[in-house]
This record gives sequence, structure tokens and C-alpha cells, in this order.
Amino acid sequence: MKKRLPKIGFHFFCTIIYVFLLAPIVVVLMSSLTATDYIVFPPKGLTLRWYVELVNHPEFMQSFMLSVFVALGTSLISTAIGTLTSIAIVRHQFKGKTAIVQLVGSPLLIPSVVFGVALLQFYSWIGLAASPAALIIGHIILTIPFVMRLVVASLVGFDRSIEQAAMNLGAGKFRVFFQITLPIIKSGVIAGAIFSFITSFDDLTVALFIVSTDVVTLPVRIFTYMQYQYDPIITSVSSIMILLTIVLMIIIERVLGVGKVFASKNQ
Amino acid sequence: MMQKKRKKTKKQLETWALLLPILVIFIFFFLLPLFFLFITSFKTFDASSGIANEWTIQNYVKFLSDPFYLGIVWRTVKIALLTTIITIVISYPVAFHISKANGRIKNYLTLLVLSPLLISMVIRCYGWSILLSNNGVVNNTLMSLGWIDKPLTLLYTELSVVIGMVHVLFPYMVLSIMGSLERIDPSVIRASQNLGAGPVRTFFSIVLPLTLPGIFAGSVMVFSLSVSSFVTPAILGGPQVKVMSYLAYEQAAVLLNWPYGAAIGFLLIFIATITIIMYSKILVRSEKGVAIQ
Amino acid sequence: MSYLCLENLVKTFNKTEVVKKLNLEIKQGELVSFLGPSGCGKTTTLNMIAGFTEVDEGKIVVDGKPVHLLPPNKREMGMVFQNYALFPHMTVFDNVAYGLKLSKIGKSETQRRVLEALEMVRLSGYEKRYPKELSGGQQQRVSLARALVIKPKLLLLDEPLSNLDAKLRQEMREEIVEIQKNVGITTIFVTHDQEEALAISDRIAVMYEGRIEQADSPVSIYNHPKTDFVSRFIGEVNQIQGKVTEILGTHQSKLNFYGNEQIVAVNAMKNAEMDFFIRPENIQISLVETNDRNIGFKAKVERKMFLGAKTRYILKAQNKHLIADISNVVLNSNLIHEGSSVYAAWKPEHLLPSRNVR
Repeated sequence: MKKRLPKIGFHFFCTIIYVFLLAPIVVVLMSSLTATDYIVFPPKGLTLRWYVELVNHPEFMQSFMLSVFVALGTSLISTAIGTLTSIAIVRHQFKGKTAIVQLVGSPLLIPSVVFGVALLQFYSWIGLAASPAALIIGHIILTIPFVMRLVVASLVGFDRSIEQAAMNLGAGKFRVFFQITLPIIKSGVIAGAIFSFITSFDDLTVALFIVSTDVVTLPVRIFTYMQYQYDPIITSVSSIMILLTIVLMIIIERVLGVGKVFASKNQ
Repeated sequence: MMQKKRKKTKKQLETWALLLPILVIFIFFFLLPLFFLFITSFKTFDASSGIANEWTIQNYVKFLSDPFYLGIVWRTVKIALLTTIITIVISYPVAFHISKANGRIKNYLTLLVLSPLLISMVIRCYGWSILLSNNGVVNNTLMSLGWIDKPLTLLYTELSVVIGMVHVLFPYMVLSIMGSLERIDPSVIRASQNLGAGPVRTFFSIVLPLTLPGIFAGSVMVFSLSVSSFVTPAILGGPQVKVMSYLAYEQAAVLLNWPYGAAIGFLLIFIATITIIMYSKILVRSEKGVAIQ
Repeated sequence: MSYLCLENLVKTFNKTEVVKKLNLEIKQGELVSFLGPSGCGKTTTLNMIAGFTEVDEGKIVVDGKPVHLLPPNKREMGMVFQNYALFPHMTVFDNVAYGLKLSKIGKSETQRRVLEALEMVRLSGYEKRYPKELSGGQQQRVSLARALVIKPKLLLLDEPLSNLDAKLRQEMREEIVEIQKNVGITTIFVTHDQEEALAISDRIAVMYEGRIEQADSPVSIYNHPKTDFVSRFIGEVNQIQGKVTEILGTHQSKLNFYGNEQIVAVNAMKNAEMDFFIRPENIQISLVETNDRNIGFKAKVERKMFLGAKTRYILKAQNKHLIADISNVVLNSNLIHEGSSVYAAWKPEHLLPSRNVR
């Protein structure tokens, strides 16, 4: 009995933290069902009226589509460029390698606010208007360090004799890359793609500087809306996003195995 | 020999072909913008055009000599420090709990801890603002328990910002500590028990020291992310709890005083970099210690 | 007519010559081992033949055609790697079929040849497994099947057995020789294990510091080493010195070892000190003095070690140590104790002259 008490205390503590982790998410999901005109928790009454109300707010759908487009573009380009760079860094010897490694990792050290201001100033000088492309470029910079980390990790442990074996059997350079190398480092590359999609989709700070009145990503839309309006429509939008994320995660888990994705992230 | 040289240049060409896309994008859309912003931070403000063509260091002087602004620096650092400390304290048990769990449960717990990372930061902070508002759950519960008569101001305080930051940055710390916990060779723990140390003793004399590098690495990440974070203080602190990133945003995007916003931004970079350098020095030392052990 | 010809191969890494003007000719169907300590250039040479390492100078000719300028994927060589290098994301079948698919061989033909190759390495029925579901020995066999199925001009084996445990290693090496002889393929086998090289090779190329010291049949390598390095590297040797006391003619001299004289077939100069090597198993010992022409000298047994079929005696004579391995069938080891005096002897034809000029 004496021994079990601390153990129970420990489990209790951990459970509280798990509750703490889920609390804001659960709160958002539940308050979206309120019948009141204002946000309240626990919800009063149960209704889906705030989901129906979304029909009157097509701007959220527009922003959602824009965010998905930007996130997809970012994820594709960032993963492609990140993989090429990782290959050069892991497998080639060249002057200035450390400088490039540091340059590519440095967006992690620069606060997004500063990068956002810098990008806004630069865009206005060169006359690049708010557009999906302008957003994608900014997000590529933000996500490349993560992609690089994941892909470099999967390349470092790579046994090059596997590639030699393929070459020995008659495969050319490109064939070796697409048939042997890429499938083997797949989990790192896919983890990088997922991570950059999420980062881009979630980004508020940089987008806040780049958006205009008709090019608004979803996080920016939600952020500005909740500063001026207090109706629960934000909770229904957020709930849909949370549910979409969960569905997406289940799909990824089914296709890839989340364990794998997170395992490589852990490195 | 000729042939060897030609092959070498071919290999070099390949290297630069691989690096070309990243160099183009980083030079044009990262280094150049930051460089121009740096220059802007040394220009004077002009109400009509934003940036006047005059050099000055007044932006930095103004910030560093005004107690109001220095107070904001202190608040930024204070919030980051509090966040880091609280994160360590609550992440360690969780990391321990997860690394002790086995098989399926372990996977699910890891997923549970990491899942907040997948859900938009804006939404998570929004959830906290519902919880902490004057008629939110926390206040309602406290009042119905009769502990307080009128709602406490929880939202738009340093407390709400810290709570939000801990929630946002918690997974990074757990991952980092879990990494170092799992690197511990189980035989080391068995050896300690074999030599007569109880579980508590083993934890404090063996496990904790061996996980210090993980704690340090996690702290660097959490501290630098919270010092420069914008979303959480913007939603849970707002104008009432201004931190440096919010100030930079306000100056540049709301008041359109670009030079001043730029200067604040570079001071923020400076603070973040200094901490990282300090931390990594400690990290190197502690890792050496572990290597010796 | 040689099938593979290495002519004056040179490879330099970071200004260090790893392979120095290496020459070797290999006949069709021959199994040649590259044997040497690590860093001797054997793997670099193999990689040059396979095309993974560029040739700085010299030529590689296979079947009359120079190949050293071709990329590895055009050389038609089958290679088996030390760590097997199987494609982890493909089944056993797909691994073996990979090379055939690349050379655009039809589906039914591919199917037939893959199954045939797997049967040859006794892995029929494993087609659908993934590499990680196989044991080390099985993985190595898949690797062998994958290399052989494309009917390469040359089979290259890069320390293929070094990741296997001792017993499996012996089984596998016999299997490899059997398959190699059945297929009749010219093979290069890189190893640092001399026992392995002696057991399987038609010829051994002993390498040291980027050069081939001697390329010969295992028997010649062991019994007639041409250089000091080969003498020392293959088997074990005692180094002994003798003083020339009399010249008896060309290739016939009388030498004094440990106070005893013996006629040895060497050219020498009077009063010169000469170094020789003698293998431990060629030293005989007895409890009584022998009178034959093999010199016998007195020695003390310092230690003895029972090694199963033989016993190893560490002898001391005139303050020098000698190792003698004596079969327990020839001499009952119970008769000799540590500290007892014995007579040691060897036949002059077992002396391996050292090239070391003193």
C-alpha cells in the first residue's frame, strides 16, 4: 500500500496533463454546438445551427481552399528542393558546405514576425502582390529546415552499397534514384511533406503580413474574425478543421503507419 | 589525369545543380529581404512615405533607453523563462510515463502528446481563450465552488499567455526528453539497482543526469520558440500583454513605422540568438559530462 | 589467354597511392582471391573492376575489351557485397529479378531464370519474403542469386562471409565454390581471412600496400612464399638467424644455427648472417638427441598449450623464443613438461629464406 501511493499520484498527475493537452480542443468542439448567440462553455442547448450558418459565410470556404492550395504547393516544392539539397549535403563534398547547412537551418532562428515584415517589405519593393505564389515562397523558407532534418536523417544511415548493387545490375543514375534510393528514404521524405503541409496550413504569422483583402488564408481569416466578432461561428469552422485533421491522420496512419512517420520525426 | 579532372568538374557541376534551387530561393527570398530590413532599421520614419532616406541609430537608442520598452523585453524573456520551466516540470513525468509504457499504449500516448501539433495553433489558443474568459469554465467552476465572488481576470494576462505557450510547446519538450530517456542503456539502471540503489535513488543519481542533455536541448527549443512566438501572445495576450514580437508587428503592420518595427525585430533576433548560444555552450559541457560517465 | 587483365592500375585518394601499378591476369573460370590486411588496396581494386571507383591510371580488360571507362551499370559484372546490399523494399523475387528487368528480358523468361537461380542457392519457396525476414546466410544467398542470374562476365565477391558466424561461414564458402565451379564463372573473392582464401581459391593474390606481393596457387603461396610479407602473413612463422660457415658451391652453403651446422640450399657469402622463416609445424622436438643431418639443438620448454589435435610448445634456445606445433599423434604431450629440456630440429628444405638483406 505504501508503495502504491506514489505510483497512483504519478498516474494521476500524468492524466491531468493529458486532460490539459486535450482541453482546448474539446472545448472548441463542444462549444460549436451551443444554441446561444455568443460563445459559452459548457454549451447551452444542442444545435448544429452554427454549422448551417457557415453557408452565409462563403469567405471561410474560400480561405480554406486557398490554404489547402498553398499548403500543397509548399509541401511539394519544399520536399523536392529539400531532398535535392539533402542529397548534396550528405553525399557530395564541396566548399562552403557548413555555410549552406547553416543558411538552410537559419529560418528556425529567425522569428517569423521578423521574416514576415522583411518579406512584406521586399515584396512591395519588387512589386509582388499578395498571391498564392507569394505565400508559397514564404512558406517554403519556413518549412525547408524541417524537411532537411528529416531527409538528411534518413540519408545518413543509408547503406550506399545498395545503390552500388543496383548499378552493378545495370541501373543508371536516375533509375537508381527513383527505384532504389527514393523508396528507401520514403518515410523521411513523406514525413517531411506532411510536416511542411501542416506548418504551411497552420501559419498565421508570415501570412498575416502577405495577405490582402481577397487573398486570405484560413488562419488569418479566423484570427481577424475573432478579433471583431464573438459569435460561435468560429467554433464551427475550427471544429470542422479539427475533424478534418483527425480524418487525415487516420488516413495517413492506415496508409503509412503513424508510428513510422513519427519515428523518423523523432530522429 | 585529364580524364580525372573532367570527371571532377562534372561531379562539381552536379553538386551545384542540386544546390541551385535552394540557393536561389534562400538568397532572393530570405537573405535579401532580411538584409533590406536590416538597412531599414537604420532609417528614420517618415509619416507619409514610411521610410525616409536618412541614416540613424535612433530606433535602437529609443528602444533601449525607454523603460516602457525595456519592460516589454523583460516581459518577453520572463514569459519565455516561465514557459520553459513549467514545460520541463510537466513534460518530464509525461515523457517518463510514455517511455515506460509498452507497445500499443505507448504509440497511443505518443500520438496523444503530439496531436496538438497537428491542430492549428490559432484554434488551440482560441480554445484557451474560451476556457479562460470571464464567463469561461475556469471562472464558473471557481465561483460555483464558492472560492471566488467575482470572475478573475485570466484572459489577456501574462498567465494566459504562459498557459497557451506551455500547451503549444509542450510536445517539443516531451519528444526531446523521451529521446534521451530511450537512449539510456537499461543495463545501467539494472547495474545501479544491483549495487543497492532504490528506484528513487536510481532516478536521481542515474536517470536524471543522463537525461540532462535532452532537457537542455528541449529548453533551447522551447525558449527560442516562445521568445519569438507571435500567435499565442497575440490571441491570449493581445495589446494588454505586449511582447516583442507583437510590438514589432504593431509597429510595422498597424502603425506602419517600418524602421522602428525592423529595429525591434532585430533586437528580438539578437536576444534569441544570445540565448541559443549560451544554452548550446551549456549543452556541450553537459554532453561531455555524460560521455565521461 | 587471360580473360581478365589488370594493367598497371593506379588509384590515389587524397594524394595517397592506395593501389600502385597493379598487374594481374586471370584465366576464364578461375577463382582468384585478393588476400591482404585491411588497407592493402584489395577492396579498392575490386571497386575499380566493378566501376564504383574510377581508375586513375592503367587499364582493365575483360574478354579482350577495355572496360575501365564504362560506368558500373554497363560492365555486366555480378557483385556480392559484404553487407548483402539487398533492396529492403523488394521481395526476394523482385531483388533477383531486378537485373533481368533492367535488361528488358520477357516476363516468363525472367520468372524462369529467377526461380532457377533461387533453386541453385537452395532458396526455393522464399520468393515472397522480404530481406529482413531472412537470416544472414539466406540474405547472402539471395545476394549471390541476384548477382548470378544476369549471367555476368565476372563474379565479384567483397568479403561476402565476414558477417556470418564461424560455422555458417564454412558452409557458405563451400557452397560458393560449388556454385562457382558449376556455373564456371570467373570469380574474384576479396577476403582478409587467409584460411578462407587457402581453402577455396584456384589462385591467391596476396596484396600489401597497394601491390600484389605474390599471385600463386594456395600450395605455392604457403610453401614457397616469394616475399617476407607473404611468409609472415600466411600461416605462422618463427624468424631465425644463421651464420654462414662454409660455401659448398652455388646454391649450397653450410650454416650454423644455435650452435649446430646444417647444409641449406642458398647462395651466401662466408660469415654472413642470414634470416630464415620456419613454420611452427615444421619444427620437430624429441627428448633424445637426434643424429641425422637435421640439426638438433637443446632447448627448454617454457610453456605448452594443448590445442586439441596438436600441442603448441614455446621453446627457448640461446635466449630466443621458438614456437613449435606438434601433432599429438606424433608425440604424446604428457611426456613433455614445462621446464624440461628437449631437442629441437627441422629439415633444411623447410627453411624459408628471408629477402631481408642484413
